[in-house]
Amino acid sequence: MNRRGLLALAAGAVSGLLVRRPPAVAGELRPPGALSPGTFERACIGCARCAEVCPTRAIRFPPGAGLSAGRPFLALRESACVLCMACTEVCPTGALAPIPPVPARVAAEVRIGVPVLDRKACLPWNGQGVCRLCAYVCPIGPAAVELVGPQQAPLFHPEGCVGCGLCEEACPEEARAIRIRAPGGGA
Amino acid sequence: MRLLRPWDVTLRRARGYVRVRRAVLSVSVLTVIGTPFLAARFADRSWPAGVFVGATGAARVLGMEFLDPLMSAAVALAGGARPGLLAAALPVLLLVLVLGRFFCGWLCPYLPLLAVSNSVRWALGRLGIPTLDLRLPGWIRFAVLGAVLGGTATLGVQLATLVYPPALLARSAYRLAFGLGLGGGATVLVAIWLFDTTVSRAGFCRSLCPGGALFTLLGARSPVRVRREASRCTDCTVCDVVCNLGQKPMTDVLDAGCERCGRCVAACPTGALSLSLEGTRR
Repeated sequence: MNRRGLLALAAGAVSGLLVRRPPAVAGELRPPGALSPGTFERACIGCARCAEVCPTRAIRFPPGAGLSAGRPFLALRESACVLCMACTEVCPTGALAPIPPVPARVAAEVRIGVPVLDRKACLPWNGQGVCRLCAYVCPIGPAAVELVGPQQAPLFHPEGCVGCGLCEEACPEEARAIRIRAPGGGA
Repeated sequence: MRLLRPWDVTLRRARGYVRVRRAVLSVSVLTVIGTPFLAARFADRSWPAGVFVGATGAARVLGMEFLDPLMSAAVALAGGARPGLLAAALPVLLLVLVLGRFFCGWLCPYLPLLAVSNSVRWALGRLGIPTLDLRLPGWIRFAVLGAVLGGTATLGVQLATLVYPPALLARSAYRLAFGLGLGGGATVLVAIWLFDTTVSRAGFCRSLCPGGALFTLLGARSPVRVRREASRCTDCTVCDVVCNLGQKPMTDVLDAGCERCGRCVAACPTGALSLSLEGTRR
């Protein structure tokens, strides 16, 4: 490379460094093992390997061409994560930190999001009968969702929940009372 | 000047070299297109993901990780450096140091699209529709590389994956295989292809691709060069015409932008060109 090339490289780098840094955004649900918002975006190269190995196809990429186009997110409304940890195993850059598919490790380390229950829509909370589906499908158990009262209504414990979305998926069509939200708030 | 037709460029010499390159390129393109389709077909992972995962830009073969040096550099500069990253980039990095910018001619999955672009350019020429062949100054690619890496470091968002054809192709193939439509990455690819087809032949590869710029930079000291034996050269210009990247072997004007594809060597009617190690005589 000649002197002009070196100058161009330096000029390009400086112009790149002058870009205003946007605030770290929380809000998207990332695959399990994802580094914290702000760090994840630095490490993820958008190779789509995580999405390719996802058995439930819960990992998606935004359809656009913008800054977020290369970043996977979880479409838990459409299909839940079954916590197989295959995505963390194939990630080439460690943007998804490897977590072995061991129940204890998964329960302790995976925090995709937190469950938010709409009690106005939840059947047992409205006295519309016993449902228990969310607790039945929950891979974590009472540490994440407890059934309380005569109607066996669900009581979620966000601190114990991994946010896999199996309950969101299982929640009956007429209720759809559960939504997994990103840990930092938002979507 | 009479336009050279695509089929005029027969493999006169160096057939072995060109065949090896084509085989390697085919495997590379197959991984980019094939892996997502296999993954979509065998969603239960009965297909051995332990054997092969990913594609050219980020592949894992038999448990060994291979990563594009551009991506390794971008992640490291953005503050995500870890030892595995450099180790994964090392095989390609070493090859680039020895072979120069070979990635572009041997592995880049955009090459088939570029071949189509060249054929369309030729067809348009035959139909009397003019196509531009703008030659952007050589320093622009380094400015682009600097801006992409610098921007990645400041924005904290990987930018290379949004403009780098191998990454765009891998994501587009994944979207297609999983029935998600083509998406914005394909739009960027179409824009790149249209630029190459109507504005500047292989102009993106030559002047705008951050990967091409990085490999040009890293491979600048490569000892593998195209050499011309002046006594056998008939000044026919075929070598200059077949080169995608604007190198001019006929007048010995070659720089680090040469991708060592061997097209010029294979096309030379008199065998005046050869790819050889610098400092050796044949």
